[in-house]
This record gives sequence, C-alpha cells and structure tokens, in this order.
Amino acid sequence: MADEPFDLPGCLDRVRRRDQVASRQLVEHLYPLVIRIVRSHLPRRVAEEDLAQDIFLKMFTRLAQYQGNVPFPHWVSRIAVTTCIDQLRAQKRRPEFRWADLSENEAEVLSNVMTDERDVTPGDALAARELVHKLLGQLKPDDRLVIQLLDLDQKTIAEISALTGWNQTLVKVRAFRARRKLQKLFQELQSKEKS
Amino acid sequence: MNSFDHQWQKLTALARSAPVDPAAAPFGFATRVAARAAAAPAVGPWAFFERFALRGLVVAAAFGVAAVAFNYSILTADQTDIYATGTTDSIVELLDIS
Repeated sequence: MADEPFDLPGCLDRVRRRDQVASRQLVEHLYPLVIRIVRSHLPRRVAEEDLAQDIFLKMFTRLAQYQGNVPFPHWVSRIAVTTCIDQLRAQKRRPEFRWADLSENEAEVLSNVMTDERDVTPGDALAARELVHKLLGQLKPDDRLVIQLLDLDQKTIAEISALTGWNQTLVKVRAFRARRKLQKLFQELQSKEKS
Repeated sequence: MNSFDHQWQKLTALARSAPVDPAAAPFGFATRVAARAAAAPAVGPWAFFERFALRGLVVAAAFGVAAVAFNYSILTADQTDIYATGTTDSIVELLDIS
C-alpha cells in the first residue's frame, strides 16, 4: 500500500493552532530537506543536529510571517541556507590548508585528479567529498555557498539567486571569485606536492 | 575548458557520487524541537522591526547629543540681560499708562 501524501497546508494550519503533534509531523516531513542543506554547508565544529534544530526553531518562530507566496519547502530552504551562512560567517579564521592535512585517500584522489594519470574509482567518492569540503572551507562563506550550490547541488544561477536573495550578477561574481581562489589553491597544492 | 576547470569538474562529479547518509530524523528529534517551539513565545510580523530597534535607539541618542551640542552656547549664555530693558512692569508697558 502506498503512503498517503503529506497534507502540508493542513499540517501548517494545525501548527498555527499550536498543535504539537502537527509540529512534530512537520519537522519529520522537512527533516530530509533541512539536513541535506545542513550537511552540504556545515561549518567546522558545528554539530549537524544542533544546526538543524536552530533552523526548525527559526521556522516555527517566523511561521506567522509566511505568506504563501513561495512553496513552504522553498521558504524553509531559505531559512536553512541563511542560518548556515550566518554560522559560517561567525567562524572568521580559516586554518591554512596544507598537503599534510589531507588523508591518504584524499591526497591520492587529488593527485589523480590533478595529474589525470588514471581514472578515479567509485571508491574514491567519499574521499573526494571530504576533499571538496576541505577546499571549500578555504573560501569566504558567501563564495563557498555559491560554489556548493552551483557545482555540488547543481542549482542554476536563478535558483541560487532565489535561495540566497542575492541578485544573479552578484552570484556570478562570487562564483568567478571562488573559482579563482580554488584555482590558486590547486596550484599551491601542486607545487607543495612536487616539493 | 582549462585544466583547472576540468580537474574541478572531475572532482565535484566524483564528490556528488558519494553515498548520502540516512536523512531520517534521529529518534526524539522532532518531539524535542516541537516541545521547544511550543515553549518559545510566539513572534508576530512586527518582530521584523525589532532588528532595527537598537539601531534606532543609537541614532536617537546621537541626535540628542548633537542637539545639546549645537545649542550649548544658548543654554549657557548669560540670561540676566533679557530682563535689562529698564521696564519691569510689562502691563504698564503694554497699556502705555506710565
């Protein structure tokens, strides 16, 4: 038997009437969406569950402001993205990135990608994900967010603009700036590897 | 596409293919969040203006200090000469009956 579709408008009505069961159902329904955003933008040393909790609490406190102009999951996504970026901005210093910071697998993946010597295997995927997160950690929070959404979540410029509230030109500028910084990082790592 | 773009696209494509962790809420998470949300006071649409409250207070205080500074000379001026007209009885002066 197929699961019944989730009645989001009905659930929101009940949440507005302070129904705790409906609040719980709403959290469970939106958790996969929120945790996916949290995991892809997770700042260092912040537990994903704590950040997810902050996002849901913001959602409940601002529920009266939701006008229904955009689908509710989009509205929650925006809260999640802005909460993550606030957390990233709060972490002002980024540690210097060194070849020695990479695990053996990450170093191997990076070396393979840089030298194009052999095709990477699916087993390298986890190491690649960790590596990408470490590289993105070197960027400014806003630039990191744009690259994350563009290259990993494969969102369009228009979608990023809607999610962040930044205009499309600003999104393109941030993407360009972030790629230049990443390129510089790659070059530095390459020279360190050779030395 | 330059060398870096090619390498970066290859790396991100590989990262995207990594298996995702389970996305279901941990046991008790939804109940805890719902309870905390219920305990928190409800916030209305006017809460939007709260973020400007402190800045508004600072601006108002700055205007207050500026107003006192600009009028300092008037406030501290010798007030005695305004009575030194030679006439003390304003009713007499008004009716011109002296």
